[in-house]
Amino acid sequence: MKLPKLKLERVLVVTGRDAVKISVLSIIIAFVVFSAFILFEGANPIDVYKCVFSYAFDPKTGLPTMIHRSTLLLFATLAFILPLKAGLWNVGMEGQLYLGTVGAFAVAYAYGDLPSTILIPLMLISAGIFGAVYGAFAGFLRGKFGVNEIVITLMLNNIAFWLLHALIMPPTGPWRGIAESQSRPLPVSAWAPTIWRLPFTVVLAPAISILLFFLFEKTRIGFQIKALGSSQPAAEHAGINPAKIAIFVMAVGGAIAGLSAYHMWAGDPSFRLIPRPDAYKGIGELTYWGIMVGLICLLNPLAAIPLSIFVGSLREGGTVIVRRYGLTYGLDRVFLGILFLSFIALQFFYRYKIVRKKKA
Amino acid sequence: MWPFIARCLEVATIFLLAGIGELLDQRSGVLNVGIEGLMLFGAASGFITALRTGSLLVGFIVGAALGAVFGFLHGLFSITLKVDQVVSAMGIWIFAMGFVTFWMDKYSGPLRIPSPRIGGLLSPMFFFAVVLVLVVWFILSKTHIGLKIRSVGEDPSVAEATGINVVKIRYLCVIIGGLLGGLAGAFMCITYLGLWSHIPTQGMGWIALALVLFSMWRPPILLAGALIFGVIWQFGIAPETLIPGFGLPLGVCRMFPFIATIIVLAVISTPRFRRKWGLAKPAALGQPYIKE
Repeated sequence: MKLPKLKLERVLVVTGRDAVKISVLSIIIAFVVFSAFILFEGANPIDVYKCVFSYAFDPKTGLPTMIHRSTLLLFATLAFILPLKAGLWNVGMEGQLYLGTVGAFAVAYAYGDLPSTILIPLMLISAGIFGAVYGAFAGFLRGKFGVNEIVITLMLNNIAFWLLHALIMPPTGPWRGIAESQSRPLPVSAWAPTIWRLPFTVVLAPAISILLFFLFEKTRIGFQIKALGSSQPAAEHAGINPAKIAIFVMAVGGAIAGLSAYHMWAGDPSFRLIPRPDAYKGIGELTYWGIMVGLICLLNPLAAIPLSIFVGSLREGGTVIVRRYGLTYGLDRVFLGILFLSFIALQFFYRYKIVRKKKA
Repeated sequence: MWPFIARCLEVATIFLLAGIGELLDQRSGVLNVGIEGLMLFGAASGFITALRTGSLLVGFIVGAALGAVFGFLHGLFSITLKVDQVVSAMGIWIFAMGFVTFWMDKYSGPLRIPSPRIGGLLSPMFFFAVVLVLVVWFILSKTHIGLKIRSVGEDPSVAEATGINVVKIRYLCVIIGGLLGGLAGAFMCITYLGLWSHIPTQGMGWIALALVLFSMWRPPILLAGALIFGVIWQFGIAPETLIPGFGLPLGVCRMFPFIATIIVLAVISTPRFRRKWGLAKPAALGQPYIKE
């Protein structure tokens, strides 16, 4: 048998369809590789997958929490997508979430006796502003002085983590509660009204997705953002002010991540307070998967919705396989890690394609 | 007082080992922002090996080796497959956070093997790290191979034209960078902390990355920066050993190193500072090398 001769060819323009193919293929590869991993751990992969998704999508068990966490992830993804469209890496969703927490809780503790109809919008606005200021600070340093925004946002994440720590930990934390290492509970009027066991904020995140989609496709500033993201010299030549755009995208991104703080703590009946540091750190770490979701959905805010639900269902369903199959805690993160790495490896095909060599 | 200074120097050791590896990476034009991920893998594998075998040396070796493996993986993605370097390094970092949680959190707890320390205070690894910085400085600025590394980082196509194998040099640098990142993680977990807890690096890898930017890609400045940040970090953890009765809560003190990093990075990036000192930023940093 004669094997066809293969060679590499440069790809100059990646079509949308090819890019989607690459993303889908990376999910398939992750499933295959992870199945081998589960076999190695001593369980049947098909059973495990069935168990994960049936738990996550069953309204009686995992569905409400799954949608709640997926929405948090969607907020984080959108906060990541918008700056990256302009070429800025916002990896500060964790810190912006914590700062949003500070904003929302400060209002709730100070004006706890206001009626819900006034208090909740105030909390949302405050959370958004706190997140926006935090994001805009990194955008300002990047836009004005060219400081690496990845390092700055990461530093801000750590600062925000310790800020919450200082606020809730005894003996000096001003928000310390009666229970060990937790904050005081939120007043009842601050609780998010629920529709079918879900807080109203689950509608907010998809609404922001749609708004962002229109921002990118239909507005002038969306065009400027995309122009800056594809080529800074060209954008500057066209009269776009990069510093202004950098501050704008980071502020709006930070506001989106800040809003998620209200969704997270006031929208889940098992919280309604700031939990122990390791617990809120666990939630904060979830936002980093927004980076992966944003990249795999090719910075499309609408595609981020189903993909967030997919990742959220894996995370939520992952908790049950620990109990039912005796598998180690955190296996779902391994799946997501494999997905991320296979997606990166396949990015090779953004630049090259393998073609059959023609006869000379 | 002396124990405090020794602990500061041990933190500086972590920053130095991770930082000098990253500096070498960046001088060859490969940006690896996932240095925290390399440290996590080094820490995890070094800790579990030391726990199982009882030998710290084997722990350090395994930690460094796994760091090198993931350094190589970053090279594979960013050099051979020509993926965006930030995307690749982010992926490795986030993969590390997830995988290490799955792998190691069930072993959370102390190691219970005391590390050898000179005079019961300072780990000899500090002197190793300082010597290493001097060696890297010598290699980069005085030797032929150092010239090759710098030229690859400045303009790979010109370097290629003069007969330098760009791919080989870059692979060499990312693997050594990964090795040192892994060693830094193993040292942090085995000697400095002596325990495993969830994500033990706590942002140290990112400070090491910031120190490389702060050093303007010069090893002696990296050495000075690592010493300063070693003191700031340790002061944030245990302020009362330096100033008895220091009143601020723990959370506020732990912010210091991160706030200091932001201030330093902002200052060195101002136009005035740049005019005066100049930034020796490798011109090809962050760009994949594509042969036409």
